[in-house]
Amino acid sequence: MSTYPNVEVKQEKPSWTCPSCGATSDKGVGPVAGDGSTGTVVCGACGASFPEVRAPEFPAPPDAATAPPQPSGRNPLVLVVVAVVVAGMLYFGFHMARRTDSDPPSVLGKSTPAPDFTLESLDGKSMKLSDFRGKAVALNFWATWCGPCKIETPWLVQLQSEYGGQGLQVVGVAMDDSGKDEIAKFAKEEGMNYPVLIGKEDVGDAYGGVPALPETFFIGRDGKIVGRIIGLKGRSDIEDAIKKALNTQASSRTPAAASEILQAQK
Amino acid sequence: MRRAPSTRNYQVLVLLVLLTAATWAQEGRGPSVTMAPVEAVTAPRAAQTMVTLDFRVGSGFHINSNAPKSEFLIPTALKLDLPTDIVLGKIEYPQGQDLSFPFSPDEKLSVYSGDFSIKLAVHPMASVNPGKYAIHGVLRYQACDNAQCFPPKTLPVSIDVKVVKQPTHGQGNPAQSPHVHN
Repeated sequence: MSTYPNVEVKQEKPSWTCPSCGATSDKGVGPVAGDGSTGTVVCGACGASFPEVRAPEFPAPPDAATAPPQPSGRNPLVLVVVAVVVAGMLYFGFHMARRTDSDPPSVLGKSTPAPDFTLESLDGKSMKLSDFRGKAVALNFWATWCGPCKIETPWLVQLQSEYGGQGLQVVGVAMDDSGKDEIAKFAKEEGMNYPVLIGKEDVGDAYGGVPALPETFFIGRDGKIVGRIIGLKGRSDIEDAIKKALNTQASSRTPAAASEILQAQK
Repeated sequence: MRRAPSTRNYQVLVLLVLLTAATWAQEGRGPSVTMAPVEAVTAPRAAQTMVTLDFRVGSGFHINSNAPKSEFLIPTALKLDLPTDIVLGKIEYPQGQDLSFPFSPDEKLSVYSGDFSIKLAVHPMASVNPGKYAIHGVLRYQACDNAQCFPPKTLPVSIDVKVVKQPTHGQGNPAQSPHVHN
């Protein structure tokens, strides 16, 4: 049984004194309401109403700070705390699910080998990511319909010119369905001075799904992922990540193929 | 005298907290465009009836207008399949709002965000039998937030049309449409 008065009042109905007029229920002028359905008691003498939980004839509830743990779930504060916890779990649960969609799989974290793949370039050649082994690679997933991609493309063009001599290779992977001609037209208009490959879904999946564009992975000379930028960030953010990729040492290790990565995820 | 909050007040608070969390959670799941339910449209034969479709773009996102400012951007477009002998008139898209992405304030986009409406004219021909018909189709759109863009999507669109006789006209051609609903 709960120690709280809001439960007791319905069962025992002891003597009650009105805090307003002083009348007591012993003299027949006690509360006329307070059956628990309204949450209030009304003085039969003066008509004043009071919350049931504050009825003065019961021992006052202890202060919240010193209150012992309540064994019953009827405490409204407990309900609120439980609701807040459940709400928090709902919120973070959904957001973690979203992160799962957008983040690379754990096998694709920093310092893990970038999944290798083979894709067709705009000029019809088959290109593998591992063809660029020994170079720092900025692997940029983009699409012709992506406004932010159009903004960062000139930066990538400039950075390729600026750092190409130091070993940078920007690689664009077009993830749209608009066709090779449309992609080629965009690439020409933007003066893309780096390979543009026609993307495939399985390559996107190997890199975490790429649910939104642009998304750029920065791969060190050793073939390991050193950074990742999701969405449009500043040119300096891209440049910093490129410098980090350039500051890695080449390795002879063969990168894992995208198909192997996908298999490992299963 | 200060009143203590009742248990009922706490229950209402609990409900509000849970509803708020559910709303946040929904908003965190990516871009969405929804269409308000459309009441059945009564359309007299041999006349044009305007239908308004109300859409809402999820908070924090925008979609291209029907007339984006770049040929590479995907315009928002309504594509409808109409029953035989019901003709679709002009579709009126709202004008887009100018918007620019960060880092490129001079490059303006034409977008829809928040609520927007598309109007279309439905014109049952005089030969259509009075009755209930359904128009189905999709709204194709491509959404972005202020830093990234999401692949194009389609939203199913459905409009119920009740074709009625035109009072000034006599009995029309009894030819039946294969799409008639009963």
